[in-house]
Amino acid sequence: MTWTFDELKSWDDKIVEIGSKYDLDWHPISYEICNYHDMIGYMAYTGMPTHYHHWSYGKSFERTHQLYNLGMEGLPYEMIINSNPSISYLMTENPMSTHVLTMAHCVGHSDFFKNNRMFRHTDPDNIIARFKNASKRVKKYVDDPTIGIDAVEAILDSAHALKFQMSREFNIKKQTPEELKKRYIRTLNENPDSLPENFDINQIPLEPNYNVLEFIRDHSRNLDAWEKDLLTIVSEEGSYFIPQAMTKIMNEGWASFWHYKILHELDLPQDYHLSFLKLHNQVIRPIVGRLNPYHLGFTIFQWIEKNLGLDQCFIARESHNDESFIRKYLNEEICRDLNLFTYSKKRTEWSIDDIADDDGWKDVREELIKNVGLGSLPKIYIKKVEKNHTLILGHDHDGRDLDLNYANKVCEHIIDLWGDDIKLFTIIEDEPFEI
Amino acid sequence: MSTFTEHKSIADRSATDRSRHKKKIDKALKEGIRDIVADESIIGQDGNKKVRIPVKGIKEYQFIYGDNSKKVGGAQGKDIRRGQKIADSKQKGKPGQGDKAGNESGEEYYEVEITLEELAEHLFADLELPDLERKKFKFISSESYRRKGHRPYGIRPRLSKKETLKNKIRRKKIAQKAGTYDEDERFTFHESDLKYKHFQNQPVEISSAVIFFIMDVSGSMSTEKKYIARSFFFLLYQFLKHKYDNVEVVFVAHTVEAKEVSEEDFFSLSPSGGTFISPALDLTLDVIEKRYHPSNWNIYAFHCSDGDNWSEDEDRAIKSSVALKEKCQLYGYCEIDPDGRSSSWRQSPHSRTFESYKPHEDDKFKLLLLNSSKDIWPTFKNIFGGRKEWQQ
Repeated sequence: MTWTFDELKSWDDKIVEIGSKYDLDWHPISYEICNYHDMIGYMAYTGMPTHYHHWSYGKSFERTHQLYNLGMEGLPYEMIINSNPSISYLMTENPMSTHVLTMAHCVGHSDFFKNNRMFRHTDPDNIIARFKNASKRVKKYVDDPTIGIDAVEAILDSAHALKFQMSREFNIKKQTPEELKKRYIRTLNENPDSLPENFDINQIPLEPNYNVLEFIRDHSRNLDAWEKDLLTIVSEEGSYFIPQAMTKIMNEGWASFWHYKILHELDLPQDYHLSFLKLHNQVIRPIVGRLNPYHLGFTIFQWIEKNLGLDQCFIARESHNDESFIRKYLNEEICRDLNLFTYSKKRTEWSIDDIADDDGWKDVREELIKNVGLGSLPKIYIKKVEKNHTLILGHDHDGRDLDLNYANKVCEHIIDLWGDDIKLFTIIEDEPFEI
Repeated sequence: MSTFTEHKSIADRSATDRSRHKKKIDKALKEGIRDIVADESIIGQDGNKKVRIPVKGIKEYQFIYGDNSKKVGGAQGKDIRRGQKIADSKQKGKPGQGDKAGNESGEEYYEVEITLEELAEHLFADLELPDLERKKFKFISSESYRRKGHRPYGIRPRLSKKETLKNKIRRKKIAQKAGTYDEDERFTFHESDLKYKHFQNQPVEISSAVIFFIMDVSGSMSTEKKYIARSFFFLLYQFLKHKYDNVEVVFVAHTVEAKEVSEEDFFSLSPSGGTFISPALDLTLDVIEKRYHPSNWNIYAFHCSDGDNWSEDEDRAIKSSVALKEKCQLYGYCEIDPDGRSSSWRQSPHSRTFESYKPHEDDKFKLLLLNSSKDIWPTFKNIFGGRKEWQQ
């Protein structure tokens, strides 16, 4: 270790001072100093120190480890959890200059977690305890001689396949099935013409239900109590992590925006200055042919500050997610600046469809919006349960077809959970398709 | 304001999950034997050939979009135009590098690339059959003479001049020290100086083996059946290769006639014609007679067929089988019947050939049934593992 805790603390004091001056509002941060091995261990469990066990995290560990060993990815320098206090990890092997940048970066993240509207339901005060509790329950089922690890893994495997198949609106109060039914009965009495011709008031569900795991848990004839509990655990974890997936560009952009700002105001020693610039450029460097969320978010926030003022940045960080953020702020100037383009596969080769010129930039933006956040994840919903208990699923087709190989595998998982037949309706190459 | 703590590393938290993951890979490897060997020329290859094993079940599936979706990238100051080709999906490798913007389709494949040697070790390590040691393996032996030190007596031609002279010099030195050496007198050889080379009669284990892979390539042998046979042969070959220093393989394909073929032809001959088993066995016996004499070779023969031997050949087949098993360390008849299809219209679960062989089954002659690729591993374990009777 080339640095001391006292040094860390004194730099932290300065960072906190600058952050407060700008009215950043973040959870206190609890930094844990750990070594490389612990760090990738945490990364495997998405940083969560109290996460339950499952083989997929072992796989994730091996992959991360391998990628770093092959030099395909740099060493990790920052990881922070959306909790109160925010837990963040600093790696012993990193030099002090890296820690300074990391701490400033984390202030940005924590501020974002605390203030962005997407995170309001995530319960940061209790999340660590909730994960710990879930982990205990999973362990209990694993240790139970009538259940055992293989059965638990089988359910978790299936549940993980549907982890993010849930409604992406968290701030709208969900109607219970009873409330929904009442509403439809009223409509039926008052204005029956507004309903479709074959409307069946006893259909379950009355409206497309995007919370696939929850629905299966509540309506399957096949699941034991412990199995339902596992679905609850996975579904809750999904709803905790979805906001992070939906704000990746903003969150990283905001954190980079602030580490850049804070470090410029810190009185950095000369030798820190260079290593800071180097690291900053590594973090936000554009990757040709791809999109670096740090870079895109950083560029947009800088543009907003320059053209609309810092206050507008704060408004954006509170009220948007990646999709709306890009829709509102990504303009022709930034598109051209980043030289964005769209591409797709034609038979066997990939080629460029649109570039950011007068005609093309709007199309490029629209495609980007489709792809950011959870846009790259198809939306699947429960249509209805038939009389023979066959589960009918639908897919919101937006021009992009499902990967059938994957879809088939996920359907097998759904059958395992549901216990009865299922059907999934989608569109493949402009033709209705049933899986 | 912020707090700092040092991580107290008490346990490696991901260790259990890593070992669960590894177990899954190992399991998938074994289940994937059929896939591994399906398209590879494997048997005659040396151990360093690399095979890529698609590891199934390790993938985590979600709903994802297919190929027809557009993606967005940044080109950073490079000149780009519509319709520009940026990557060929046939190319493998990391997308999005250099000038080429990439197909970032996120195609995750979990393929483990290992050498055949490693694969075999991997598989056998998992056999968990601790007794499967040398003693379970029959090694034929032959007598041979080996040098074994020197003796003070023997016949004249085996006199070792060197050792004898050494003894004389030794005696001379002692005499000098003791002061009994007289320079004027000749210091002659003494009877006790003489040393003779000694040879001993020793049995030597012959560590050469020849494996006869005999396969029915008649019209009824579908591609699927051949895959199963091929997978099974692969395991046998790898296993025996582990046990013997020198392993040779002979491929015998037969319909109503039999001929010796190359590995490539063995698996790619298009099926045709009917089935006579005995010519193949006779050919094998003939090859043994000419090239692999049982006193010098450990002989293994495995015959894969779907069992539809024509009835007029039955007696001859039995007779040849009995003759063959006498020459072999192990002779296996493997009946391949995917999904029990044939047995569903037969009266018994086995073919007539199988039934007719039945009375002759013993330590050296094994009857095996392979219904699907999943049976390969258990069957293999069955013949080489823990069977007490197949001991020396």
